[in-house]
Amino acid sequence: MITAERKPIKEIKEMLAPYKKILVVGCGSCVAECAAGGEKEVGLLSSALRMDAKASGKEIEIKEMTLDRQCVYEFIDQLTEVIDQYDIVLSLACGAGVQAVAEVFPKVHIVPALNTTFLGETKEAGLWVENCRGCGDCKLGVFAAVCPVTRCAKGLFNGPCGGSKTDRCEVDPDVPCAWQLIVSRLEDIGRLDLLRKVHPPADWSKQQGKGPRKIKREDQRT
Amino acid sequence: MDQKGLGITRAILFCRQLDPNQDANRRAIEREMGARIRFFPLPCSGRVDPLYLMRALESGADKVYLITCPEGACRYREGNLRAKKRIAYAKSLIEEIGLEPERFELILTSAGNHKTIDEITRDILAREES
Repeated sequence: MITAERKPIKEIKEMLAPYKKILVVGCGSCVAECAAGGEKEVGLLSSALRMDAKASGKEIEIKEMTLDRQCVYEFIDQLTEVIDQYDIVLSLACGAGVQAVAEVFPKVHIVPALNTTFLGETKEAGLWVENCRGCGDCKLGVFAAVCPVTRCAKGLFNGPCGGSKTDRCEVDPDVPCAWQLIVSRLEDIGRLDLLRKVHPPADWSKQQGKGPRKIKREDQRT
Repeated sequence: MDQKGLGITRAILFCRQLDPNQDANRRAIEREMGARIRFFPLPCSGRVDPLYLMRALESGADKVYLITCPEGACRYREGNLRAKKRIAYAKSLIEEIGLEPERFELILTSAGNHKTIDEITRDILAREES
């Protein structure tokens, strides 16, 4: 899941300042799950913006919409009938969703209401944690499904730093040492041998070596 | 107590478990005060969402109250604890737009106090006046 957090309202207001008719568009996927950009958050932010405008004597018109996904054309197309009636679109999607909408409607000003943060997991109600960097060369099979690059505060790929205390990370004691987890879990499943194997260097070019990445599947294309 | 002259509009969200006869009791005070007060019964205060509070404020209420059971006495165990967190979130949101956080207020009824919803409301209104 892609996680995000709402920007401060002050920053959002600055982006919207020159405009009167605002289309506030949420996304019902990842950012809804992390309570940042779903239908409810669209309502909260729109209410706040309307009350703020009223208090400062400014006339604005806000329409609230939430798409199932803001990163897929079939869903973005639902904006086609209404988008021309608005001066600006305030998107509560992740960065991918904001850009996808802007690609479809290049003549409309699209601005983000969220700061996209990380790929993560809903750990418990109201708690989301980062656990994937999207490196493109997944080694979780070797590390007992604990990513050392993401979950080790130092991003160590080749073993623990030695600074952990009672299985907690020395950088942040609230976080378990990723390498402690890796070793414990490999012990539990009887596969410590995986750590004895020497692996070739990771291919980091799959993460950031060649600019924006893309996946192309001929069998999925029309 | 005459509230009619104040022209203040209040939204009162409350846990229905507080008063078995809440329907008749709240209607009595609604008849008395007309549009200046609106009640929103909830099956449990934990059902409240910050969006309800925001919409109430946006719809013209000057002040929004959320009345819950006493702490530790929620029929659904921790509904009122959740309500407390949600009202705190809503307060932070309106603070961001320069409104007073006091526009949202959590009223935790006290243990052993078996007042009806209209009595609780009259206490709130009397406190506002004083």
